[in-house]
Order: sequence, then structure tokens, then C-alpha cells
Amino acid sequence: MNRRFSASLVALLASGISLSGCTDTTAKGPVNLSKGVPVGAVLALTGNANVYGQDQKTGIELALKALNSAGGVNGQPIALSLEDSGSDEPSANAAFNLQINRGVLALIGPTLSQQAFSADPIAQRRGVPVVAPSNTAKGIPQIGHFISRVSAQSSVIAPLSIAQALKLNPGLRRAAVFYAQDDAYSTAETVIFQKALTDKGLKPVTVQRTQLNDQDFQNQITAALNQQPDLVVLSLQAVDGGNMIRQLRELGYKGPIVVGNGMNTPNIYPICQRYCDGILIAQAYSPELATPTNQRFLAAFAATQARNPTASRIPPQLTAQAYTAMQVIGEALQRLDRKHPLKTLPLAQARKALMDEILSGTYQTPLGEIRFTPEGEVIQKNFYVAKVRMNPDGKTGRFTLLP
Amino acid sequence: MEGLLQLLFNGLSVGAVYALFALGYTLVFSVLGVINFAHGAIFTLGAYFTYFLIGGTVGANGLMAGQQLPFSLPFWLALPLAGVGAAAVALGLERIAFRPLRERGSDPLLALITSLGAGVILVNLIQLLVGAESYSIPVGTLEALPVAISIAGAKVRTVQVLLLAIAGLLLVALSIWIDGSRSGKALQAVSEDPVTAQLLGINSGRMIQIAFGISGFLAGVAGGLVGLSVSIAGPYFGIGYGLKGLGVLVLGGLGSVPGAVLGGLIIGLAEACVPADLSGYKDAVAFGFLFLMLLIRPQGLLGRPLAEKV
Repeated sequence: MNRRFSASLVALLASGISLSGCTDTTAKGPVNLSKGVPVGAVLALTGNANVYGQDQKTGIELALKALNSAGGVNGQPIALSLEDSGSDEPSANAAFNLQINRGVLALIGPTLSQQAFSADPIAQRRGVPVVAPSNTAKGIPQIGHFISRVSAQSSVIAPLSIAQALKLNPGLRRAAVFYAQDDAYSTAETVIFQKALTDKGLKPVTVQRTQLNDQDFQNQITAALNQQPDLVVLSLQAVDGGNMIRQLRELGYKGPIVVGNGMNTPNIYPICQRYCDGILIAQAYSPELATPTNQRFLAAFAATQARNPTASRIPPQLTAQAYTAMQVIGEALQRLDRKHPLKTLPLAQARKALMDEILSGTYQTPLGEIRFTPEGEVIQKNFYVAKVRMNPDGKTGRFTLLP
Repeated sequence: MEGLLQLLFNGLSVGAVYALFALGYTLVFSVLGVINFAHGAIFTLGAYFTYFLIGGTVGANGLMAGQQLPFSLPFWLALPLAGVGAAAVALGLERIAFRPLRERGSDPLLALITSLGAGVILVNLIQLLVGAESYSIPVGTLEALPVAISIAGAKVRTVQVLLLAIAGLLLVALSIWIDGSRSGKALQAVSEDPVTAQLLGINSGRMIQIAFGISGFLAGVAGGLVGLSVSIAGPYFGIGYGLKGLGVLVLGGLGSVPGAVLGGLIIGLAEACVPADLSGYKDAVAFGFLFLMLLIRPQGLLGRPLAEKV
């Protein structure tokens, strides 16, 4: 019995080792174009970050439809495979490996910076281009040559909302800062926020640390309110941030609230409900941008919302950025295929050439004109600050851009 | 003084939820000697049941996207009904995941694994039917009450006070039932020794069902109350509370009802006592405290030491 058990254990370990060490044998072969040009997306469709993944899925699907209806990659349709990365690192790693083994030419994702620091090195090691639609933490493109992003990093956009809060309320002096200490995005962004506060002459009178899965913040809020802040600055994700705002208001805080990119989604409305009203948030996307690409994007988005009378017709930033990521890959593929037809290239070589194309292009996107630094960091011209305005029903609202 | 009172309220309101949660674990453990790992999923179901009973709509994802019940109930009615719904599911679990193993005299460890499996299935079923998105009970649900109240300078959200009051009421009712009724005493007898209890004419199987039913009801009500206080953050909503409930169960003493209450309140207060600058480490502090307590008193605060059979 023991011997049989030992044999089973050895077999199990051996299979585990062979699975964990499995290499992408398909990379040496040609690109599999039988079902179209393979592109993968890895998005948080479940877990705490699912509120972002749903927005992103819409954006990617809209861009895919636009690209394919315009002929795809020089006549070949783009075949998108979508994988759920949950909201944690192991699931993102597994989804990346799965997509790469399927032979995708490029990946869009993962949703969270925290996941990107774990999953992107896999794509880098295996030479697969990644275009991140929503990672804003410092150091993402620096993971390696194959990693790029269309989401401007926090240091560029976060300080804008602090400046706007001061413009609206010049008397602000005392800020209470909250961030999730177990989340890469939150910890990176709060450093930017705290520096911006100090630079503008505001004093962070308290810095409260939370955890991503926390939902009850009574302890932290009552401790912070004892310091009598006149500004609250949050670097939290949508679910914990939404709960934080609701509890801040219920416990009597009436001052302005500045939030970071983690709450840049209309999916916060059902969480903080009427208390979302008035929060300030920096934006990398303006629905008011009058370019043909943005107008097409707006019309396509509005059409997807037509079935739901209460849904907003204005796309959120995450949807615009995900659309942009898909558009960047699609246009880079078109250029590459014109230079070197994809059917003639081995997969590994096609992936490398595609990364070079992605980095060298200039793109007219819903975010405006963008291009990349050689490192893969996005270069974008315009940023904005929005104020959330909730409708009287307390369930729906909109991000109103401020002058 | 004001700060101390604030800390006390913060700790008690969180601790009451932990206690309510751990009581469900305790009841099942006391009669079966196993931890029901599906308890967190039942808690989650209670939150979802409450949301749908007050007229909530299923979001854009899941098989039931856009659907809602043809009626909506006031929260006060929806909450106990959600508890009843959760109790019904708990009874179903007992029938499917626990009873067959018990009847075959299987090792209790197997029941623990089947409960874990049942919990995973329930959570995935929720995700399949109503999606993974967050749901919130509308903030105006308690419109007649102020959103927060001040007690001697300490500010507390009304929903937290309600949570504490309802949890307290349920705990008192449960204690009275266990100590003052025939069926409560029969439950105690079964938890002491199911075979002897059976010989004395007590229907052990029936008492186990009652334990599961009450445990499910408590979990369902706790889920609904927490859902009112914070948002329902998807089908995995109950996992964090489940872990904390386990800690409370062990701290209070396995199978001890007053121990579960005491353990819950102590963990809640321990978390509240964590200095503001270290608030992100409150879980580590709470579990560190639990670890130290167990080094000193391995049977938990109110548990009995296991007699070693020679």
C-alpha cells in the first residue's frame, strides 16, 4: 500500500514538474491563423476587481468589431480569446500561461497593477507583447521590452485632481489620506498623492492603511475624523473605495473627496450610491474629444447601452483605454502584415516584430493621439479632472469634466 | 473617555458579526464534531436573498441578468425571510453533504472536505446565476432612521447599532432556547454524546437537522445585516468573514456557544484597539492575539480540555 502510494506521489510530482516546466513549443512553428489572427485578453471578470474587467471587456469588444468590420488584418479577421484573471495574481499568471500556450500574438491585460507585476514577467520571458489597458503603478513598462501600456501612470494624472480640489476650495489645509497597503496600484498612487499634497502646501494629518478586502472602515474613519481633515484623499479600488466613501459621509464627513484611478468606473455608483456625488477624479479620457475616432467610439458604445434605459451612454475611461489597447494591437498587426505577411513568420519572430511595430506607431485613439516611449510608456497629450454627479435616483450618475 | 467609547462601539459592532458567524460554526461543531466550511457560502446567500427580497435586480452578468422578484418587501421582513431561505439551503446541505457520510460512519474529516466542496459549488452557482459584480442594498433602506448617531460624543453608523442590537437579540434568544427548552437540552445531550442521547430516546438526526437549520438562519441574517452595512462584494463575500469566524470559534472554545460570543467580541475589540497607523495590520494583530491566547489556553476561552482516553 505504501509502495503504491509512493509511486502515485512520484507520478504526481513528475507530472507537476513537467507541467510547470512546460515550454511553448508552438513558438517555433508558424502563427496559427486557422481561426483568424490570434490575440488574447486577460481581464478581471470575477473577484473584487470585476467592476473594472466588465468595463474593459466592452471596450475591447467594440474595438474588435470596428477592426474586423474594416477588414481585420488585411483581410484576415482578428480572433480574440478572453480569459478571466480573477482579481488575484495566481489567476492572472495561469491566464497568461494559458493564452501564451494557445499561441496568441499579443496580450491585453491584466487589469490590476498588482497582477501585472506577477504576470507580465511571464510574457516577457516568453517574448509575448503585452499592452496594459489599466495598469498605472510605477514600473510596469520597465518590467521588460515586451511590456507596454496605454494607461498613463499615476504620477502624471493623480496630482491634477489635488490641484483641482484646491482650485475649488482654496482654503484646504489638512488632508486625511487612505490607501490599501496590500495593493501595488494603491501604494504607488498614494506616494504620488502625498507628494502632490505637500508640494501644494497641504498637510497630510493622518495616513490610514487598509486592506483590499476590507469593507468596514469605521475604525480608520473615526481615527481620521478626529484629526479634523478638510480634504480626504483615497487610493483604493472601486469596491473598498465605494464603501469607504459611503461610510465617510455617513459618519459625518462633509468636505471634498479626491479619489484615484481605482475608482475611475461608473460601477462605483451602486456601491457609494448618492454619496458618490461630488468626488473628484483625474481622467485620461474625455468623451468631449471631437475626433472622428472618439465620435465612432461614442456611437458604438451608446449602441451597446441602448437595451438598458438606465445605463449611461457615456463610456468610462477604462472602456476607452481598453478600446485603445485593442486598436493599438490591431493597427500594429496591420502594419506588420503588410511588411512581413504573418503566415510567413514563425510565431516567436512574429511576436517580436509585432512588439517593435507597437512601439514605433502613432495612433489616433479615443484618448487622442498617442504613441510610446522606447520603454513602452504611453505618451498622451491631454488629461482632465471630473466631478461625479449623481442623479436624484441615487443609482445612476455621470463623470462631469471640470474646466 | 470619548475615544474609549468610540473604540468600544467600533469593536463591539464588528465583533457581534463575528460572534453571529461563529455561532453557526459552533452549533454544527457541537453536534457533529466537524467544521462546516460551507457556512461562509450560506452567509453570502443570506446577503443575496435579502438584496433580492427588497426588490433588487440582477446585474448585467449571470444567467438571470436583469431579472427581479415580482414583489419587494421591507427590509424588516426581508431579513428574517432571507434567514429562513439560508436555513433551507443549510438543511439541504446537511441532507446531501453530511448525512450520507454520517450514516456510513465515515471519518469526520471527510465531512469537512464535502462541506468545503459544497461551499465552492454554492459560490460558483451564485456566480453563474447572478454574476460576480457587487450589489448594494440601497442606502435609503433605513430612511426613517438617521444615518449615524452620537452617543456621549462617539459617532456610530445607525446600521452598526442595529447590527449589534439584532445580533445581541439573536444570541440571547439562542441561549434561552438552549438552556431553557427541552429541545435545547436535547441538543446539548447530542453534543455531549450522540449515541447515549439516542439511547435516551432523543432523535439525534433530528437534532442535527435543527442545529443546521439554526446555523443557516444565523448565517443568513448575519449576511443580510452585513450586506446592509457594506456592499455585497460578489459571491466570495463570505470568505473573509469565514476565516475570522474560524478564529473566533477556536478562541472561544470549540463547540461552546458562550465562547463563540465572547471570542467574537474579543476579536472585534482587538481589531478596534489596533492603533490607527497600523490599521492595515488589524487581521495580523487579531490572529496574533488568538495565537498567544491558544498558547496559554489551548482549549480556548470557554472550551473544555479534551480528556485523553487511555
